[in-house]
Amino acid sequence: MKFIVSKKLIDNRALYMSVLWMVIFLVVALCLNVVAKGIDFGVTPTQWIGHALGNEAEFIDPLTIKDLLLTLHTELFGLILLFILISALLMRTSRSRTLKMVLLLSGIASLLIYPLGLLASLYLGSFAILLAWGAFILFHLLMIGSAIDILILLLRKRF
Amino acid sequence: MHLVALMFIALVVLQSLLGGAVFATIIGWTPQAIGDYYAAKTFHGLLETLLPHTLFISIALMGSLHFLGFITTISEQQKERWIHLLFGLFILDQSAPVFINLGIDFFAYVKLVSFVGFEGVLAVVSYLLFRHTLGKDLAISQ
Repeated sequence: MKFIVSKKLIDNRALYMSVLWMVIFLVVALCLNVVAKGIDFGVTPTQWIGHALGNEAEFIDPLTIKDLLLTLHTELFGLILLFILISALLMRTSRSRTLKMVLLLSGIASLLIYPLGLLASLYLGSFAILLAWGAFILFHLLMIGSAIDILILLLRKRF
Repeated sequence: MHLVALMFIALVVLQSLLGGAVFATIIGWTPQAIGDYYAAKTFHGLLETLLPHTLFISIALMGSLHFLGFITTISEQQKERWIHLLFGLFILDQSAPVFINLGIDFFAYVKLVSFVGFEGVLAVVSYLLFRHTLGKDLAISQ
């Protein structure tokens, strides 16, 4: 990314502070998204499967296609924006190109698998939800890790 | 990098398809279904959707589109065109239900075209921004 961080980022106090605060809030937003998902879907794969496919023993109705589409549509919009911002900052760090590529590829792959897994659960059942669960956790871990790394580099003025 | 770009395209296409699926599931695809859905709503019901969309999507669009200002691979005229097109389609998409509710059935077609157009243009602009994000590393950027 060439835009958020110009060569004069450290010199430009307003831009520096804005980017710094934005990264802090991106980390907060990611953590809150995990908490919200934990409350909504549950924490373990079993809870996710129960929430999406329903559980007769616990009288849980399966998630309707309408609710699933609405959830994914709203969530994915925010996650794509978040991914663009973090990957844009990540590309400007001094980390190795290989590491950046691995983070970028695994980030985008997990962001694709998460909604596709949930959608595929209508046909593939619990296996697809397991994939979605793993992808959701991986994406958030990668993005939180990258954002914290960016934050440290920003604070140490090594950007 | 080709793979990253292709995966990103897949992601924005998926997001657009999800938007279309939400629209089709809740409202329907035909102008008749769209007209019936919005005609049955109260003005307060319309405002419940219109108000948050107007406020938050415009901020999100501004936040995303201002990055176009830093892109050097497309001309200033092209940037202006994309921005006007996206905001224009958004205004049409959001205001059409009000006119449908007022009894002007033609706006059911406007709603359908503007919604599909908005999702499509948003996908293209997202890809333009992401392509620039990758900068020189992306071999297919030029």
